[in-house]
Amino acid sequence: MKSVTGCWPLVVGLIISSFAVLGYAQQKPVALKGGKVLTVSHGIIEHGVLVMSGDKIVAVGQESSTKIPKDARVIDVTGMTVYPGLIDSETNLGLTEISAEDMTNDLVETSEEIMPHMHVYDAFHAESELIPVTRLNGITNAIVAPDSKDTLPGQDSFIQLAGTSSPDMLLVRDIAMPLNFTGDQRRNEPRDKRKFPSTRMGMAAQLRQAFLDAQDYEQHWADYEKKKNEASQKPDDKDKKTPSPPKRDLKLEALLPYLQGKKPIVLAAEEPNDLDAAVSLANEFKLKFILNHISQAQPVLDYVASLKVPVIVGPIYEEPKPYERYDAVYSLPAQLNKRGVKIAFASYDAHNVRNLPYQAGYATAFGLPPDEALKAITLNAAEIWGMADKLGSLDVGKTANVVVANGDPLDVKTDVKQVFIDGQEIPMVSRQTRLRDRYSGH
Amino acid sequence: MKRISILSLFATCVLVIASALAQQPSASSKEILIKNAVVMTVTHGNIQAGSVYIKDGKIAAVGKDVSAPASATIIDAGGKYLTPGIVDSHSHIALDSDVNEATSPVTPQMMMIDAFDYQDKAIYRALAGGVTTSLLLHGSANMIGGQAIVIKHKYGLNRDAMLFPGAPRSIKFASGENPKRVYGSKDQLPSTRMGNFEVQREALVQAQEYMREWSDYDAKVKKGDKDASPPKRDLKMEALADVLKGNLLVQIHCYRADELLTEMAIAKEFGYKVRAFHHALEAYKVADQLAANDVGIATFADWWGYKQEAWDAIPWNAVMSMRKGVRVAIKSDSGDFTRRLNQEAAKTIRYGGATEEEALKMITLNAAWIIGVDNRVGSIEVGKDADLVLWDGYPLSSFGVPSKVFIDGDVYFDRTLPGFGMPYYREGE
Repeated sequence: MKSVTGCWPLVVGLIISSFAVLGYAQQKPVALKGGKVLTVSHGIIEHGVLVMSGDKIVAVGQESSTKIPKDARVIDVTGMTVYPGLIDSETNLGLTEISAEDMTNDLVETSEEIMPHMHVYDAFHAESELIPVTRLNGITNAIVAPDSKDTLPGQDSFIQLAGTSSPDMLLVRDIAMPLNFTGDQRRNEPRDKRKFPSTRMGMAAQLRQAFLDAQDYEQHWADYEKKKNEASQKPDDKDKKTPSPPKRDLKLEALLPYLQGKKPIVLAAEEPNDLDAAVSLANEFKLKFILNHISQAQPVLDYVASLKVPVIVGPIYEEPKPYERYDAVYSLPAQLNKRGVKIAFASYDAHNVRNLPYQAGYATAFGLPPDEALKAITLNAAEIWGMADKLGSLDVGKTANVVVANGDPLDVKTDVKQVFIDGQEIPMVSRQTRLRDRYSGH
Repeated sequence: MKRISILSLFATCVLVIASALAQQPSASSKEILIKNAVVMTVTHGNIQAGSVYIKDGKIAAVGKDVSAPASATIIDAGGKYLTPGIVDSHSHIALDSDVNEATSPVTPQMMMIDAFDYQDKAIYRALAGGVTTSLLLHGSANMIGGQAIVIKHKYGLNRDAMLFPGAPRSIKFASGENPKRVYGSKDQLPSTRMGNFEVQREALVQAQEYMREWSDYDAKVKKGDKDASPPKRDLKMEALADVLKGNLLVQIHCYRADELLTEMAIAKEFGYKVRAFHHALEAYKVADQLAANDVGIATFADWWGYKQEAWDAIPWNAVMSMRKGVRVAIKSDSGDFTRRLNQEAAKTIRYGGATEEEALKMITLNAAWIIGVDNRVGSIEVGKDADLVLWDGYPLSSFGVPSKVFIDGDVYFDRTLPGFGMPYYREGE
């Protein structure tokens, strides 16, 4: 360790000096040499080498047997841990700046509950100060979701936490659609201003109607296309009527990819009864889904496993019911993992996304194997979101989102020394480090 | 003065009730030897393969080789870490939302004991996270909120058995956004920081006058004036007078650097001391001044951005302030964080390079100092209360969780037990 702490300031210096411009200029390959490489996909390499060229990982292997290109800039990371950029499976990054200041919030439209035509990419603020703060802790990718106040609050985007503009950072727009069925979506407060849907029955009826309307809408368009085709096949028919297209409806249109099973619904429920209602609804319309939260579903975990879908679990800091043991939620990831369920973690936050790895770490204290915990914030997340060809592990050909830190990625004591996104060395600077330096007399 | 000292009345009640308790475990007579532990004393380093001998609920011996009578129950720690019980210097659990009497900005006569919901499971969940002592404070709606209580997390006992015997009284002040928002939204004073501080000064001036009336009366009585009639007792003024007389530890919710300075200036103007600033997210900007006034801070490890006055919060605040000589505690302000304050404290190792002992001190001895019970708890030293946590895993990490929690020498939580893991509590009994 001593040699490392000694050499790192030099390394950082090199990085900063070489990092004149945040851009995608052609750079020499970069080789991280001597670190403990957590590949996630194929084990741990104690003394490894990882080579990045352009925005890709081009080599990963043992130090003794991995060729480093002659023109590569070699960074000695002996004693350090090298791991893939972390992925947070639900955040509000880019949708809020200061929680209590409404003008900085674009979290959710609450005038109606069925808002699938809201796209977080339309609000995503690339210059948010929260993003550099977050990536300094090794989080390189995240789902951005609208707040869960609506049953259908809009569609999620999958972002990368670096780039010069929001189009750069929005890797996948409309990657999935949350369907929230936790009870918080009821319009029952304040009591004297209740409106529909003020009960779960209302929520379910409203959702069902929305999907039925979308099916009708789909049918109208299919009918129209059919008529149009028929008309075009009979060019000489004197009596032909040119069919007129149905009126476009953005709301119903937004539901179609989900009704067609092209994209997943992120189905949020907490308690068993909500889970049953939500899953029934999803099955009724043959929706492809991922489960979200289920932090009070301990009695029905075998049922959850039988659904054979991934689960974004937690946050494990949800408080258990008064009649439950203190660790009922802490141990949930381990319980799901034991049943063969693929899990991912999410911060469900914006300012505190940086603490994502500690949640995974804490789950290990309650029985989740450490390698599974790391997977739940890397490869599992990449697989769940259909990004595993590019992200989630240190493999040749994948995007060079790489983190160098002085210890276990899941440990709260571990200091992240350098983050690479798309092979670019991210300046380890945020509004917070600038304040620190200013008041430290630097 | 004829007024009975509330402090002494309070302490007497606690003693009488505690001794009369039927369900109080017989901790006081127990002798326990915890051996083969890494004893993290906080005040004199770590003792590898160390032992702690507990007698009469107190720590009777600490060291590498500790002799205990054969009658003592032996607990082999198997090399696990042993720390002092965690002290949370800012908590609002167990109050059933009765945290703010937000109907007037000055309510020093509000007594938290009257709202203490001692059956709240949050006390148990914090205990399971290693917390043995908490300061339950008023909220921050009011410039002067009310008087706090200090509890030990003896979940399952009755109300008064959970109070920390002899703990000094604390009073909660606030400043900044919360009071001005709460009263501003009702179009009342205060709606600005100017209004905030005027309200605070006004109340203190009234208290000075109240004290003068009483001292005039006392002087007349002393001179033998039989016609002297005592002023009307006013609970609100009485409480503020106790602030001015230094009978209450003043705990101030305050974020911005300029307000930290103003609060210290007002304290100087009226002649009382600020014990600690709570939240104090900009303490790093004025740490020299805080240190010069011996004012502690109870802060978050890395919480930020939830409101404008938390926008300049940085996770280096705790360590930067500590390095300037400020006594720093990491607190929860939350029923969630209080369950894993060890993890929060460990963040100071990562942000700013606190040593293991410095990090641990922020959730033990320094927090105990803020509450005024550092002579009783907060470190593993002979004569202190046997409030201890035996950990599975290393406590200052993501992976440490309490295995056993002792309070006054008795095990109140044991992770290996089924159900809730509480020897003295069964649901429904």
